[in-house]
Amino acid sequence: MNFRPYALLAELTYQCPLHCPYCSNPVGYPQGQELTTDEWKRVFAEAARIGVLHLGLSGGEPLARRDLAALIAGAQEAGLYSNLITSAVGLEPKRLAELKEAGLDSIQISFQADDAALGDAIAGTKAHQLKLNAARFVPEVGLPLTLNVVLHRRNLDRLENIIALAEELGAIRLELANVQYYGWGHLNQTQLMPTREQVETAVAIASAAKERLAGKMELIYVLPDYYETRPKPCMQGWGRRYLTVNPIGNVLPCPNATSIPGLRFENVREQALAWIWNESPSFNQFRGTDWMPLPCKECPQREVDFGGCRCQAALLTGDAYATDPVCTLSPKREVVDNILKAIETDSLAAEWTARRNP
Amino acid sequence: MSAIDLNCRPALAAHVRLQIDPVSNEPVLLFPEGVLVLNPTAHDIVLHCNGKAKVAEIVAALSDEYEIDEATLRNDAVECLADLLARNLIVVKS
Repeated sequence: MNFRPYALLAELTYQCPLHCPYCSNPVGYPQGQELTTDEWKRVFAEAARIGVLHLGLSGGEPLARRDLAALIAGAQEAGLYSNLITSAVGLEPKRLAELKEAGLDSIQISFQADDAALGDAIAGTKAHQLKLNAARFVPEVGLPLTLNVVLHRRNLDRLENIIALAEELGAIRLELANVQYYGWGHLNQTQLMPTREQVETAVAIASAAKERLAGKMELIYVLPDYYETRPKPCMQGWGRRYLTVNPIGNVLPCPNATSIPGLRFENVREQALAWIWNESPSFNQFRGTDWMPLPCKECPQREVDFGGCRCQAALLTGDAYATDPVCTLSPKREVVDNILKAIETDSLAAEWTARRNP
Repeated sequence: MSAIDLNCRPALAAHVRLQIDPVSNEPVLLFPEGVLVLNPTAHDIVLHCNGKAKVAEIVAALSDEYEIDEATLRNDAVECLADLLARNLIVVKS
């Protein structure tokens, strides 16, 4: 099947104890009531019926939902493989045992750095020690642990130590994701964007570690796409493999899709998920290759990178239909080059803007 | 990484779940951020990976069901298990 959702990202709440300056949540939060326990459970069941196998429980901070165990039980009932994507702040042993009991399959804990001083400075709160305490307890209850670290100018030079931390904590996976510049990340781009030298050193370290850890820990390294010559295959194609439901029930082809001007999104309170996936205008807007402009339309890579990222095209060129300007074949590549040039020549800007709760 | 030999006892790794995909009716392995569709032979092999049976015993059990010679089946099973091990989807005990 060409368009089948395999994974649902459920953003349960926008509340979060952390204030990371690259948060993927929208800077302007949509207003509305969070979905209830029963509404989420219905969404999980509907998702399973249209092909979803994986559920990411995210936010904000999903632990802020007091009904999290009930939601996990709902996911289990629907046959979904559930992964808790958490800051681990508030993940006490008793709560973790309760979530495991409800049927949680795996857990992904974010770290901001390998040490408390830097980690807490990025998170904007004293979180690092709490994360360590929680992460150490995860293998004890028999849950597989993934560590996720967002990389940027201020922590990229710590990469070796970050990898060592993941090893020490017994993680089976380590996701090292360079910042994506949307929302809060775009707002703080000047402060977060690494230099080319940093990026090249980091790639070498990550490749060596990947080889060394093969068979022990899976290492995923998400490249900083501004430094690439071809765009990322964003979401593996629009409306092709993934869907996101935000805290108020809007269904999005990607977590950042609300940043695209003019797109209207359907809500699970009003429409069936199957209809939204198959029929809705928002999910069909950039599906397949028919919407593509030149040079994408005739590019042999069009089924590989799907024209790149629609949010990035809209953000950097003002046109959501444009070729992702990361691509060197894009007529607007200079937009990206100018940003990179400014990073190399301008002095480091002052403070970043910390993420605020709604 | 330890290799697959006929005396080791494979088991699914703790983070891996075997289930039938309700849409395609194919057997799949689910693990964090991943899905692996199993062909019928791989499915049969995985069903025998209980941490108790040796690879040699799994092959013997399957050779009763399959109409191919045991040497080919043995090679196929070892290759399949080595692939699953490389993906961290099984663990092997001696």
